Amino acid sequence: MWLVFIKELIELLRDKKTLFFIIALPMVIFPVVFGIMALFGSNAALQEHDKVIRYVLKNGDVAPEFATKLFYHNDFKEVIIEFSGDNSIESAIKNDEVDLVIELDEDFKNQFENDKISDWKIYFNGSNIFGGTKRKVETLLQEYVDELQQQTFARLGLAAEQFEVFKEPIKIEEIDTADDRESFGEQLGGFIPYILIPLCLTGAMYPAIDLGAGEKERGTIETLLLTPISRLSLVLGKFLCITTTAMMTALITIFSMVLWSFIIGQLFDVSAVSEILKAVGWSDYGLIVLLLLPISAIFASTLLAISIYASSYKEAQNYMGPLSMFVIFPVLVAMMPGISLNFNWSLVPIANVALAIKELLKGTIDYTFLIPIFASTGVFALISLLFCVYWFNKESVLFR
Amino acid sequence: MISVENLSKSFPIKAAKKQMQSQQRDPREQGAKFNALNNVSFHCGKGEVLGLLGPNGAGKTTALRILSTALKPDSGAVIINGIDVIKNPTLAKQKIGFLSGKTGLYGRLTARENIEFFAKLHGVSREYLLNDADEIYQNLEITNYLDRRVEHLSTGMQQKVSIARAVIHKPEVLVLDEPTTGLDIMATEIIMDFVQLIRSQGTAVIFSTHHLDEVALLADRVSIIYQGTSCFDGGIAEFQQQSRELDLRRAFMNVLQGADANVASLY
Repeated sequence: MWLVFIKELIELLRDKKTLFFIIALPMVIFPVVFGIMALFGSNAALQEHDKVIRYVLKNGDVAPEFATKLFYHNDFKEVIIEFSGDNSIESAIKNDEVDLVIELDEDFKNQFENDKISDWKIYFNGSNIFGGTKRKVETLLQEYVDELQQQTFARLGLAAEQFEVFKEPIKIEEIDTADDRESFGEQLGGFIPYILIPLCLTGAMYPAIDLGAGEKERGTIETLLLTPISRLSLVLGKFLCITTTAMMTALITIFSMVLWSFIIGQLFDVSAVSEILKAVGWSDYGLIVLLLLPISAIFASTLLAISIYASSYKEAQNYMGPLSMFVIFPVLVAMMPGISLNFNWSLVPIANVALAIKELLKGTIDYTFLIPIFASTGVFALISLLFCVYWFNKESVLFR
Repeated sequence: MISVENLSKSFPIKAAKKQMQSQQRDPREQGAKFNALNNVSFHCGKGEVLGLLGPNGAGKTTALRILSTALKPDSGAVIINGIDVIKNPTLAKQKIGFLSGKTGLYGRLTARENIEFFAKLHGVSREYLLNDADEIYQNLEITNYLDRRVEHLSTGMQQKVSIARAVIHKPEVLVLDEPTTGLDIMATEIIMDFVQLIRSQGTAVIFSTHHLDEVALLADRVSIIYQGTSCFDGGIAEFQQQSRELDLRRAFMNVLQGADANVASLY
């Protein structure tokens, strides 16, 4: 078994594709991709923040104070557009002629003086993820509404202090008992297994194809079957090799994520990131790695069984594609709000590990759940492995 | 030395394959079964070379896979020096060296790593590999590129490494399945010489080929399989005498023509 394991490992580590999936992807590609995404995101947010909004104010003469406030505001710039017939407000916004149209009620002055509610309309394109236009105009409108409220209260003979009480009768002080680590774990804890578990699958996928269907295609499996080694040892050697590469991918990813988080924390002076990562503790990182072991074993045995059934590389790839879906669904469970680790979830393979990683990062895990987690994933991995051995003994599978 | 007796082997036919083959129906197709081998027998003694002949799809590879333990027969026996290959496959594997049509080498390992990996799986000692394996390497003229990765070697070089891999555990029976296919004259010559050498050391060699000149040069015995049945098994002289032809090519064709009627009566 060890002879096969060592041979397979040497061969895989000499393969550029394997090295790419195991080392380059988690160490370099992911941080670079995430970095580029963050850069583009922050640039877009900055552009949105600095953007001067082109506006049209309809019936502005009914609220001259508001019109003046808007006109002299740095974030807004008035444009002149006549809306009539085909050139509606909606089409002008769609054609990027204007960003914002505020339509005031023609009878606003009269309605305000007679204590009646007035209808104003704001038109904008709300598809922008940052929602800068809406936010900016709402801030400005709120200021104006405050002024109108003050005027109304003064007219009704109420003091400024009474106005403040009317506006905010209760002052709520929020005391969040969750520490930074728990908040971080809740927000990002579900995201980490979403990266780690599919990476284990990716790390196992290519070696599994190479060691099963690849060997069949190259004709080496037949040579191997003619040696006195038992089929069980042969399967175990290959299985251990695939599990090792899957684990290596996960380990390198964890190392890469911690390393890059520390670097980002230091470079951008975001000490909270480093503090949270330190708070997780090495024993919890160790447990995360340990939890990924049975997951990798499940992937290794399942993928090897699929691979040995396939008669070519291409066929194996076709069979393995849908498997990603089966992995993603249980991982998504950990990202859903309101779902936490309990006994029932601890028995569901993949979902249990995803939830446990989330709880570990939050620092709220009940360690007794680790027993059913390891038991259920272990049993599942063993069943897959036995199935793999069964297929390795079937002529109709080996010589398809 | 090696005795193959009445081997029969059938495979299930998949529905789709069955449909495709319906226009050119093979007499070996029986319902949902395909009778790949039907009572095939042949023999090869110590230090003898048996040329295993037959057209493509005759069942040669199935027979060789059975005698090398990769497949199990439905009935029949393969005996190597008193050991039943079907009942004791692990023991039998120690006594067989097999070279298939493909070289069966790992491209990302060096030639030496390939040979030593298979040697260790066969339980060959480290001392033997260090002290005695050189003789095999020199005979096959592969010493100069033993430490180069197999993927960087030519087809001829790979085939020679593959032969070294097949004989490194000193098998009593060497099975060569079309070993010279795709090789140049020089590489073919080296393999022919090596077969002669290993025969002289007492190894029984079963040599499947389509090249009758190689059979004429090497074989002591000939066995012909046609549509899953044995048409002939005997010495070269007997083969020529039975087919009334000295030329092996014509003798082979004569045997196949005679076999057609026999096969039709079988199914």
